[in-house]
Amino acid sequence: MLITWGSEPNSRLEEIARTVIETPFTRRTWSELVFMMAGMPIAFIGIAFVGVTMASGLVLAITFIGVALIGLAVRGARGIGGMQRRLAGALLDETIDEPEPFSPRPGYLGWLQTALRDRTGWKAIAYLAIKVPLALVAFVTAFSLWWDAFRCLTYPFWGNHGGLPEWGTVQLVFQPGYLSPGSGGPLVAVATVITGAIFFFAAPWPVRFFDYLDRLLMRSLLAPDAMTVRVRNLEQARAHTVDASAATLRRIERDLHDGTQAQLVALAMRLGMAKEKLADPDHLDVDQIRDLVSDAHRGAKEAIVELRDLARGIHPPALDVGLEGALATLAARSTIPTELTVSIDERPSPAIEAIAYFCVAELMANIAQHALASRASVSCAQQGRWLRLVVRDDGIGGAQAVNTGSTSSGLCGLADRVRTVDGNLELTSPPRGPTVVTVDLPLRV
Amino acid sequence: MPLRVAIAEDSVILRDGLVQLLLDRGFEVTAAVADAGGLRLAIERERPDVAVVDIRMPPSFTDEGLRAAIELRREHRGLAILMFSQYIETRYAEELLGNDAAGIGYLLKDRVADVSQFVEALERVASGGTALDPEVVTQFMGASRRRDSISVLTTRERDVLSLMAEGRTNAAIAESLCVSEGAVEKHVTNIFSKLDLPASQSDHRRVLAVLRYLDT
Repeated sequence: MLITWGSEPNSRLEEIARTVIETPFTRRTWSELVFMMAGMPIAFIGIAFVGVTMASGLVLAITFIGVALIGLAVRGARGIGGMQRRLAGALLDETIDEPEPFSPRPGYLGWLQTALRDRTGWKAIAYLAIKVPLALVAFVTAFSLWWDAFRCLTYPFWGNHGGLPEWGTVQLVFQPGYLSPGSGGPLVAVATVITGAIFFFAAPWPVRFFDYLDRLLMRSLLAPDAMTVRVRNLEQARAHTVDASAATLRRIERDLHDGTQAQLVALAMRLGMAKEKLADPDHLDVDQIRDLVSDAHRGAKEAIVELRDLARGIHPPALDVGLEGALATLAARSTIPTELTVSIDERPSPAIEAIAYFCVAELMANIAQHALASRASVSCAQQGRWLRLVVRDDGIGGAQAVNTGSTSSGLCGLADRVRTVDGNLELTSPPRGPTVVTVDLPLRV
Repeated sequence: MPLRVAIAEDSVILRDGLVQLLLDRGFEVTAAVADAGGLRLAIERERPDVAVVDIRMPPSFTDEGLRAAIELRREHRGLAILMFSQYIETRYAEELLGNDAAGIGYLLKDRVADVSQFVEALERVASGGTALDPEVVTQFMGASRRRDSISVLTTRERDVLSLMAEGRTNAAIAESLCVSEGAVEKHVTNIFSKLDLPASQSDHRRVLAVLRYLDT
């Protein structure tokens, strides 16, 4: 059923016409209608529940029962808001973020306190209060339009028995009696069917308009507000930090346990053996004792080196001087010729300096181990309130931030660490290189 | 015939050191392995008298050594085991001792520094005795809900109780406290009667009795 308007300049008109004609046959139109119809009982049952509990709660407010009833109203409203949100998700494809779950404190009083302070619940009550009149107007409009369309379109089939619509918009336009059942001939029938067709193609639009208002309402009252979202993000970041620091402590413990502690035990053991041999002057075996002591000596020196490395891993002493000096040490120590440029006007906070340092250290280690690079460069520049680190190498590329395997697995850890301060790590490493890692960190945590 | 010892320790430095120490002291080292699986094989193949087992080993670095030890004790009657760890966990000691403290030891790794005492403990365990680290005993005493009743003991009796809990014989206790064996015997009798413990001749029974008393 295509209407061709022929000439080019009318293509916009053609588009509008096509939309008008196709709309009643789209899935969206019917979903919106169903949403409106289904939303109506939810809104009415909801407001009835909230109204009754809230009113009786207020009447009894001086007693515990009253307060409990108000809490129940808020908690119930939250549940109804959730239903409404799911309905919108299923029928309107309108994804509204879940508010934070209702997590009451322990005990009845804890539950009540949480319920009374539940912003989500109170906002759901506000939503219901606005939704009810909206639903009423929307329902009457939608129902009468569709009903009229149906009645008018089918007029020829039952014109003698029924007559014109008795309830709906048509009656408002065509005054009662102006056209009455059986009063018209074929002309009236044709006119009525045409009227029905107009209603049929017009009906989806008011429904869409009211659903649009409802969407706006749901977005502002049933979705978590900006503050809640921010709090949630911060909570996630905090959980990350806590986990990361627990993991760091575990790593340090492991290093101490497997490395230094074992070294020292072996050292003490050798000295113990030497001491006992010396205590027996009759059977002195000088060579044996010398071996034991020199083993112990070597062990002591190794333990010192291990401890130093471990301490440097916890907090690099070079950072005390500043990031620039620390990075210079890192670049100088690298086995691959590394060019370093630093331009910082203002010292970042210690935590940021440490993260920046460990990022560069880890990335340099990755380059030395995996990249097969001949040169590398590190730049560290302040850009406003941000610090941008760029580590680049001319190696084979193909680095990936993966969780398993030894190759670059440190990258994932780095990205996590950077995220804990709202920073960002970006990796580009095409096959055959070059690999560029860009890390943005805020100057202050 | 020298005592035959198997070693399970994942730190190479310590393992080599232990082998050197035991060979030097005239033990026969049947195997020196790095994990629980290796230990199981080594014990089935060589049937050593005693195994020195690190608690924390790969792959999970938690308590593989302890699990292996408990299983091996069930499968091989008479196998003595000396657990060897950098930390003392009272829970581990309880699990390890179970109902039978014969041929069980639990020492801090530091104890190898006193070579003679370590070797003595190893021999005691191998011959069916018990060797608990003083740290284990201290923890048991500290955690005991019966601190009040321990306070009825004299200081000297408390010293004797600690040494007894470590698994020492009366003779060894006498030596370490520089008193006569008769005096130790008297203290022991006093302790048993004051704490209402069943008197026992066998040394490892005494250990269990004391620990159970402290633990309940």
